[in-house]
Amino acid sequence: MTSYLIRRFFIGLLTLLLITFVIYGLIRTMPGSPLDTDPAMLDPSKMPREEDLERMRKVYGLDKPWPVAYIQWLRNVRYGNLGHSYSQRKAVSELVKQRIGPTLTLSVTSLFLTYLLAIPMGLYSTVRSGKPEERGISFLLYMLYSFPSFVAALFLQLLFAVKLQGTALELPLFGHQSPGFDEMSSVQQTLDRFWHMVLPVTCFTYASLAYYCRFVKANMEEVIRQDYIRTARAKGLGPIRIILHHAFRNTLIPFVTLLGLTLPGLLSGAIILEQIFNWPGMGQLYFGSISTRDYPVIMALTLMFSVLTLLGQLLADILYAFVDPRITYH
Amino acid sequence: MAMLALLYIGFLSLVAIFSPLIAGTKPIVCRYKGEVYFPCIEYYIRGWKYPIFLKDRFRNVFPKNLKKKDPDSWAIFPLVYQDPYRRVRKGEWEDRPGNQSGAEGRPSQLNLFGTYGTSGIDIFASMVHGTRIALLVGFVSTGIAAVIGITVGAIAGYLGGWVDMLLSRLIELVLCIPSLVLILALLVTIDRPSIWHMMAILGLTGWTSMARLTRAEFLKLRQSEFVIAARSIGAGRLRIMFRHILPNSLAPVMVPIAFGIAAAILIEAGLSLLGFGAPPPNPSWGTILNSGKTTIQAGYWWQIVFPGTAIFLTVLAYNLIGEGIQEATDPRLANPGN
Repeated sequence: MTSYLIRRFFIGLLTLLLITFVIYGLIRTMPGSPLDTDPAMLDPSKMPREEDLERMRKVYGLDKPWPVAYIQWLRNVRYGNLGHSYSQRKAVSELVKQRIGPTLTLSVTSLFLTYLLAIPMGLYSTVRSGKPEERGISFLLYMLYSFPSFVAALFLQLLFAVKLQGTALELPLFGHQSPGFDEMSSVQQTLDRFWHMVLPVTCFTYASLAYYCRFVKANMEEVIRQDYIRTARAKGLGPIRIILHHAFRNTLIPFVTLLGLTLPGLLSGAIILEQIFNWPGMGQLYFGSISTRDYPVIMALTLMFSVLTLLGQLLADILYAFVDPRITYH
Repeated sequence: MAMLALLYIGFLSLVAIFSPLIAGTKPIVCRYKGEVYFPCIEYYIRGWKYPIFLKDRFRNVFPKNLKKKDPDSWAIFPLVYQDPYRRVRKGEWEDRPGNQSGAEGRPSQLNLFGTYGTSGIDIFASMVHGTRIALLVGFVSTGIAAVIGITVGAIAGYLGGWVDMLLSRLIELVLCIPSLVLILALLVTIDRPSIWHMMAILGLTGWTSMARLTRAEFLKLRQSEFVIAARSIGAGRLRIMFRHILPNSLAPVMVPIAFGIAAAILIEAGLSLLGFGAPPPNPSWGTILNSGKTTIQAGYWWQIVFPGTAIFLTVLAYNLIGEGIQEATDPRLANPGN
């Protein structure tokens, strides 16, 4: 196991190097540089002088060819320095610290809700397989699974924030808190946060809910035909005990892999939704940094997303061996 | 269900092919100064115009000008006289009011799906012409992805050894970058992204699942008797790979192709919604949604409901087709035990 982990670690490191190298090359060949897309610089009176521009280019490493600048970036990352944002004039790590909270509230809540709802629903549809109510649920879930979340977001916004405006069911259109948030009492603040979360969390949850339900059901269908289930039934165990104790536990293995694969989605899963709901999270930061050509932010976020993806895969493999003692790695 | 979905896609393809005959302001066919023209072709080839109508200063308004400049002319117009690129004005067509905009642009007999809140362009016409883009994006980008994926998978699976090792790392590498992140990074490297750039990028990033499946199939079939037989009679590597193994491994690869088309349409719509699509005037479904999103507070529901439903139905149809192929090709699902 140890030698396997070490090998995986080095392969992962190599993959990261390649990914960041490719992305660095790509963004440096983008048309426009951070120095000429900054809106403050479009103002002719504040136009920086040529020698200032020269100095800034030097500071940001834009005067060097990009492979050299890449190596410099890498050297800084090794010491935990992700650089400074051009457009926001802050350390990238500070920006990330600001944005990670809102994103995690969204993704963790939705992940929690998904698991909470998907497992009972999946088990229920297995038990009721073939009956009209199961058909109904499956049909509905399939529809939801194919319903693009950004379309759903717009539909829900239209319904709850525009059409129902002024009624008791009105929900905020976007943002994660109301304008007068700082003056509210703590109870009001919690409520305000909650109301703002309803629509984004719904959109974030329903698609994965449909996916997970189908996943649980598909795995259960496979397990429930095994001989040991028949044995359990033959020795007179109750249906609930068979489903939960004998069948469901054996579907946990693919479930655990799924958990590992959701790890990157926690940070980067909602790029489009965050944009629609104007949610101040990581996805929005990434979007903004791309349009302002903010190289350090783009690089830092790409690095984070890729690290999480690799970690998720590794975690899935390790958990796999952990839940299934038959699997060993060499 | 899959058949129904196939029918729907067939219907969409017809709409896409014949879009200028369904909605447009240019005659399908007309006779002008003794010659017969097909001005609707101008919708297929953007930027190209019949020189004679340019010279006679038609300015894209045909009904009035045809009558005025040649009393003997005749023309057959599309079913719906509306344009996806510009607002139809008052009096263009005899006794017909022009397109309204804003809240007055709600669906009516003139504008079946309403108009854009800001520009007054007809949404039905935009959506009919947008069908062309949606289907094209799906087919072209998945086609590119399939070519790359199948080639990489075939080479990796058949040759094995260090080639397989290298190509598998490459697949993992592309798989590790969140697709939207990579697509955005690629998209902004292009100065003025057009719909063709978008298709190329979607194709270049979406081939991994097909490569993995093809590789697995090739690994399995490499050892089978017919391949050994082919090798023993002296067939070359390429011939074995693409003439003998590929046709036998194509069925499972069809599944990610169908899902890939759905994903491509989805991503194109999503990017257009965020304003990263091809620049307007470009009647993509996502672009209509984008204009609906910016004016959402005014409550112009028709800008969101119609294109949103179209995207949903198309994605659903491709998913159903993919599911259908999966059920047909996977023996484990073919015979349910209950």
